[in-house]
Amino acid sequence: MTQLRRNWGPLVLFCVGLAVCGTEAWAETVYVQAKTAQLRSGKTSLDAVVGNVKYGDALEVVARDGSWVEVKTAAGAKGWIFANKTSSARPSGTNDTLARLGHSMRGGDASATTASAGARGLDKASEGYADRAGVSARDREAVDRMTAYQIADQEVEEFLREGGLGEYAK
Amino acid sequence: MRNNHVMATGLFALSLSLAGCAEVQRAGEDLARQSGNPRLAGAIHGVGNVVGSLFPIGYEEESSIGQAMALQVVARYGGVVDQPELVRYVNLVARAVANTSDRPDIPYRVAILEHDSINAFAAPAGYIFVTRGLLRQVRNEAELAAVLGHEIAHVSQKHILDIIQRSKRLAGVTEAGLSYATSNPAAFKNVIDGAVKKLLDEGLDQGKEMEADTIGEVFAARVGYDPGAYVGLLTRLRELKGDDRALFKTHPNFSARIEAVQKTIQGKQLTPTGVILQERFSRMTKRV
Repeated sequence: MTQLRRNWGPLVLFCVGLAVCGTEAWAETVYVQAKTAQLRSGKTSLDAVVGNVKYGDALEVVARDGSWVEVKTAAGAKGWIFANKTSSARPSGTNDTLARLGHSMRGGDASATTASAGARGLDKASEGYADRAGVSARDREAVDRMTAYQIADQEVEEFLREGGLGEYAK
Repeated sequence: MRNNHVMATGLFALSLSLAGCAEVQRAGEDLARQSGNPRLAGAIHGVGNVVGSLFPIGYEEESSIGQAMALQVVARYGGVVDQPELVRYVNLVARAVANTSDRPDIPYRVAILEHDSINAFAAPAGYIFVTRGLLRQVRNEAELAAVLGHEIAHVSQKHILDIIQRSKRLAGVTEAGLSYATSNPAAFKNVIDGAVKKLLDEGLDQGKEMEADTIGEVFAARVGYDPGAYVGLLTRLRELKGDDRALFKTHPNFSARIEAVQKTIQGKQLTPTGVILQERFSRMTKRV
């Protein structure tokens, strides 16, 4: 009997702990697997946009229904996101810190462009290469234009809508 | 005594640079130089480069490599097509696919090469090329999305960067990108020329091509394009070019690629959507 009572203690403690933090600890997390994504008030692309999330953001799963997932952001905002824009694994490409450190140790040029800033025209290294390789002015201009080429996210969204792609699938 | 002190500081900086501390490495270099010991400063700098070369190439350096390679691709393939509407359309398809790829956070741009051969290439940092000849073989938007998905996968998986990093280590080169181009432009040119030769003449290895097919197929399917479209295009290309082994020294032949794509569709349970957008593709590419 004493033995039994001794065993009950940890079990009760475990159950209380589970009740207090179990739901939080076991909540499913997904990550935004798209450059940007919208949270909507319902499970269709016609529903109102209630928030925006970006690549790599962690979202807590509230519910799933077909191609849509209801999620909660770290800030507490809730909404539905198209499932194909999420991933259960944290997106790759999170080694930027290591890359920056490596670049810094190799004596990199801090004035160079960054991914987030978006490139504008040829950089010094490419200009130097073009000189040495004898690349014509016409071809330089082509790569210069290519580097500066930009399409707004809104245009891509409109393109998807027109084609019935992604969350706009009919 | 003072020399011993400088030597100890230098050794401390050396060990810290091995541990990855760039600022301390530079301070150690400066101290050694100011104390009249340029050899020690050089040694610290050298160790920093070696350690730095072991870290992944960051986007800034990747961008320099990609731009330089793009210059060579455009030069070798006779320039780019100047049809703004067509270029915009191809870029929109690429962006749609890239936005849900495994690396959506860098800019992707596509240029159409003024060339009749059937080809597509990807240089680091999102520089993608398709030939006019390839566009003439494509019949709908889903096929184009699959082709672009394949190229985007080469970028997202950093296939060319892997080759560059491996070749640099073999050649004992410890710097790349901007710093390398500035300090040793001749060697930077050699690295770029080697990578271009691999990309345009020798081809990537079969494993990387298969991986790009598999991953690219998933990228295009994520957007909603019909996963069967790529099989259709590869089948037509097989009919056109055959499975002659001489043509596929470094690439898997079309039969192997078709089989791998079909396995991906089954294994990843990519469901048919029927979305191929043939009408939009024909309208936008009628002047190809």
